[in-house]
Amino acid sequence: MNENELIEKAQNGDRKSLAELVKMYEQTVYNFAFKICRDKERAENTMQETFLRMVKNLKQFSGKSKLSTWLYTVVSNNCLMLARSNKRREYTSIDDDDNLIKETKLVEWKYTPANVTENNELKEVLDDAIKNLPPDYRVVFLLRDVEGLSTEETGKITDLSIAAVKSRLHRARAFLRNEISGKLSYESN
Amino acid sequence: MNQTKVSCKDVMSHICDNLGEDMDSPRCKAIKEHLDNCDGCQNYFSSVNGTIGLYKEYNAKLSKEGHSKLFDCLGLSEFDVDSIDSKEKDS
Repeated sequence: MNENELIEKAQNGDRKSLAELVKMYEQTVYNFAFKICRDKERAENTMQETFLRMVKNLKQFSGKSKLSTWLYTVVSNNCLMLARSNKRREYTSIDDDDNLIKETKLVEWKYTPANVTENNELKEVLDDAIKNLPPDYRVVFLLRDVEGLSTEETGKITDLSIAAVKSRLHRARAFLRNEISGKLSYESN
Repeated sequence: MNQTKVSCKDVMSHICDNLGEDMDSPRCKAIKEHLDNCDGCQNYFSSVNGTIGLYKEYNAKLSKEGHSKLFDCLGLSEFDVDSIDSKEKDS
């Protein structure tokens, strides 16, 4: 049974189809929530709230957009709301291109993407860097670069123009690259 | 270690996409000429690609407990085949 058939059945009260839909997306939703929050408990709570909202609003889902796009929107809004409520956290401004993009000499990094799974030191570096990135930028980076959504889809989910998505993406990439570069480079003699 | 290799075309489409430019536009052609001769820019874009690669590979797996809690909270436990199977094995 394909996704649209499952949605239609679930909209008509078939709970088995609803369970199938949840199973289909639980890992994606949890992983994305974790990537924004960088906290397992918060990610689980966000996942639960997202699916509760899906169950509540499924009858209104028209199928004009993909279910995954709708789920990404709920997770993003939920995490942004949580971040905005935490007013104690202050972020460095990343609006200045001159500070963000610096000409650099070739520096070898200690790690490749293949090292991520089992390397806690590397995970810590990546967690720390992305936590310093303002959440509005974080969501754009994760949707576009990490989840692989198009610029248009990212704009739709975040309610930003295409130009604003591109601008935030460019700054987010440069910021993260600067943050992790110093920590992953071999120390020069 | 080897950094993630990036082709000139990757870099070009990356930059030109961000600028909203066609690959054959005069601006993109000028950027290409600059990149061909600039180690600094090539290194910069290589490390940006490396950064994206690291975040792509860093994934979190939902635990069995997290999965069961979700199905409980949605009132869907009776359709959670994996959980039913493991409970039957335990008893």
